[in-house]
Amino acid sequence: MSQQQKNKLSNVLIYILLAFGAITMLLPFFWMISTSLKTAGEAVAMPPIWLSSNLQTGNYEEALQAAPFGRYFLNSIIVTAISTSGELLTTILAAFAFARLEFYGKNILFVLLISTMMVPGELLTIPNFVTLSDWGLINTYASLFLPFLASVFSIYILKEAFEAIPDEIYYAAKVDGCSDWRYLWTVMVPLSKSSIVSIAILGIIGSWNSFMWPLIVTTEQTMRTLPVGLQAFTTEAGTQYELLMAASTIVVVPMIIVYIFLQKYIIEGLASGGSKG
Amino acid sequence: MQVTFENVNMAFDKNTVLDNINFNIPENELVTILGPSGCGKSTTLMLISGLIFPSDGKIYFGDKEVTKMDAVDRKVGMVFQNYALYPHLTVSENIQFPLKMEKMKKKERQARALELAKLVKIEDQIDKKPGELSGGQQQRVAIARALAKEPSLLLMDEPLSNLDARLRIEMREEIRRIQQETGVTTVFVTHDQEEALSISDHIMVLNEGYIQQYSTPTDLYNNPENLFVAKFLGNPIINELAIDEALNLSALHIEKQATAKAKTVAIRPENFYEVEDEKEALITGTVRFVEVIGKNVTVHVDTALGDLVATELGFVHEQGDKIMLGVHEEDLLLFDEGGQIIQRGGNHA
Amino acid sequence: MLKKPTWKSTLQSLLYLLPALIFIGIFNIYPIFKSLAMSFYEDYNIFTGEVGEYGLANFIKIFNDPSFFTAIRNTFIFVLGVVPISIVLSLLIAIMLNRIEILSSFFRSVYFLPFVTSTVAISIVWNWLYHTRYGLINYFLGFIGIEPIAWLTNPDFALPALIIMSIWKGLGYNIILFLVGLNNIDKTYYQAARIDGARSWQQFVNITVPLLSPYILLVSIIGVINSFKVFTEVYSLFSGRPGPAGSALTMVFYIYEKFYTEYQYGVATAAGIVLFLIILVFTLLQRWISKRFIYN
Repeated sequence: MSQQQKNKLSNVLIYILLAFGAITMLLPFFWMISTSLKTAGEAVAMPPIWLSSNLQTGNYEEALQAAPFGRYFLNSIIVTAISTSGELLTTILAAFAFARLEFYGKNILFVLLISTMMVPGELLTIPNFVTLSDWGLINTYASLFLPFLASVFSIYILKEAFEAIPDEIYYAAKVDGCSDWRYLWTVMVPLSKSSIVSIAILGIIGSWNSFMWPLIVTTEQTMRTLPVGLQAFTTEAGTQYELLMAASTIVVVPMIIVYIFLQKYIIEGLASGGSKG
Repeated sequence: MQVTFENVNMAFDKNTVLDNINFNIPENELVTILGPSGCGKSTTLMLISGLIFPSDGKIYFGDKEVTKMDAVDRKVGMVFQNYALYPHLTVSENIQFPLKMEKMKKKERQARALELAKLVKIEDQIDKKPGELSGGQQQRVAIARALAKEPSLLLMDEPLSNLDARLRIEMREEIRRIQQETGVTTVFVTHDQEEALSISDHIMVLNEGYIQQYSTPTDLYNNPENLFVAKFLGNPIINELAIDEALNLSALHIEKQATAKAKTVAIRPENFYEVEDEKEALITGTVRFVEVIGKNVTVHVDTALGDLVATELGFVHEQGDKIMLGVHEEDLLLFDEGGQIIQRGGNHA
Repeated sequence: MLKKPTWKSTLQSLLYLLPALIFIGIFNIYPIFKSLAMSFYEDYNIFTGEVGEYGLANFIKIFNDPSFFTAIRNTFIFVLGVVPISIVLSLLIAIMLNRIEILSSFFRSVYFLPFVTSTVAISIVWNWLYHTRYGLINYFLGFIGIEPIAWLTNPDFALPALIIMSIWKGLGYNIILFLVGLNNIDKTYYQAARIDGARSWQQFVNITVPLLSPYILLVSIIGVINSFKVFTEVYSLFSGRPGPAGSALTMVFYIYEKFYTEYQYGVATAAGIVLFLIILVFTLLQRWISKRFIYN
């Protein structure tokens, strides 16, 4: 067998393996949607029915009536929007100070901040809960976003990006009559767009999927975010898998749609975020 | 606008970069600060721009003291070695940037940007981003941006060093043209003596934090005040010979008191000529090799005092030829032990 | 060439830093010390915040609690189950994706999909897939003659079920990181290796693996840290319980239970500090390994 034939054969093998993997990845999603469109009887039929001949969109209506998913959705959007934009703002300002300004104690402060990254967030959950309940903020939006308005990791990532901008550009801008504040917003921020997008995406995904914290600080149904609401719904729906799958689909599909459109940014953002950490 | 430095010192940590510098840059001139890397020339430019402040001393723009004034307020134009164009802005937006900072109206500044683009001959690239331009084009944009707010002072930090040889010559002529058209006082920093000689009204030679000499290009070349300046200017490098018996100084009419103090003589390669009579020869030697580059013929000669280079001897020599070299008194430079000039040729220094 | 700091520039910088420092101070730095203090609380009144005295009682308590050791044991099994398998699988897939051109980015997106979707929703779907009687997984296993497995109700299978789902969910992220690493390997190395007579497998062993080793380390550090902190997957897969008979009790779940359902804040923080120390030791260990064995 020639080298070319060998390559061809190995390529075919690669495609077969990758396709098998891709099916494994997609099957749970397919099964979720498929089950959500079945009757209760079809859902538990054995052998399984791959696709119901009579699609039960009523499952969605029922799920939406059983629990206020609209409200959960709104809560998630509010919390994600505020915590991500707040985090971006504090990050941009702090990263600028570390990357571009000179001040006493800069290195010590930076090392101090970086060392806090070693501590798992789960450990901080308890004292943070105590702080927020002392402030009487449990079951408020504030309790859902306040701890996430600044991130050392994001500051670190953006500081690196800011430092990659040549000093000459800063000098040129100063000579052109541009103040530090304007320089930050008219030059540094647009030039670091990709890092800022990464940070925003990491923030959005983290906040949107966050579970333990909102589970702890929300006891009222009206304050639940989507993941907490969905989890709570499992106890309500019990073994009605077609309803559970409909609810899961309601949560997952908007994210899949966003992912399909922004996948380039999301993947690159997460990859660069991860490989810098 | 004139720029004046009065007793300016600059030290980073404990390194003195500039040591008590005094100079004046006359209005409407193009003045070059020339020196090897690390001589303090870029620091001088940064001090003029206000990007850094002197450890000591005063800086004046015209009659006004600006020592403590920040770069943002000094309103000078500056061109950087790597151009420092804003990569996310178009050519036009780059040129407009300083005007935007001055809060000029959009229409006005667009018109002004176009005008400047025409001056630097880049008007057909106005909507491109810097990344799409060649080095020379980026350079033009950088100049246009620096000129946008009609600065009374234009600073250029090694603006040509990132360009290839041919483009460098083209751009230096362009810079000269633009400077003369606009009449803006310009300070140009370079380590390239040829560039400095070709472009400047005055040249300030800087080394190790001191001004070695500040004069016109011809004066610097012909009347260097010290050995450093003599050696830094000119290509090939000036021939430097220790005073020795092998050197037939009696062939020349030089006052004895001058030669008594002299430790070194220096002769430009183009000032050697061939003589027939050994009495008239300053030095004799053997042709080591002849280097021909196009119309330029450089003869390398082995002598008792080391290698010499002569450029105006013509095509006639071959390797191994005996050769006797003479020089006119006025082309001979004599330096004392400290490398300071004693006398230039027959005339008193 | 930057200016030296002055008091004026320090003050200006502080204005830029202040917003971040306030939030980091209150919600990141203060809680570190607070939780350290809380772990030594004895006789703590959660309603008044009064502390009777300080001591090692909380630590003594957890180290005498068999379920704490179960949690540590389960967490280690989980980490050892997820991280190595996930690294091997994702490395293989990344290399395959790197070899092909057509559909490469499509496959990449598909493998990455579980990572961006909600863990809760994913876990609920897997809860359904794992169903003993109606689950798709047991249906497929039936084809190869395996009797239905009680994935979620048999204590012996709870951890494997959790591990399989977690590998599935995290695979895409590791693949992406490995792809970044593979792209950073200069193609000329492979050309040079071919001229030197190295075949595919030799190229893989002698070029790909060593040059990718910083990424393997990175993926393993991220994987270990995240796996030690597993919670949501457990909570959602087992409907709010730590698996049948506590068989999937992990450390963070233990902390959660002590804190949220039993209100034993001191015990919970003490367990949190033990978790932190374990993670710290592992990270330092991995860094030490990297210094010894990995080119950089």
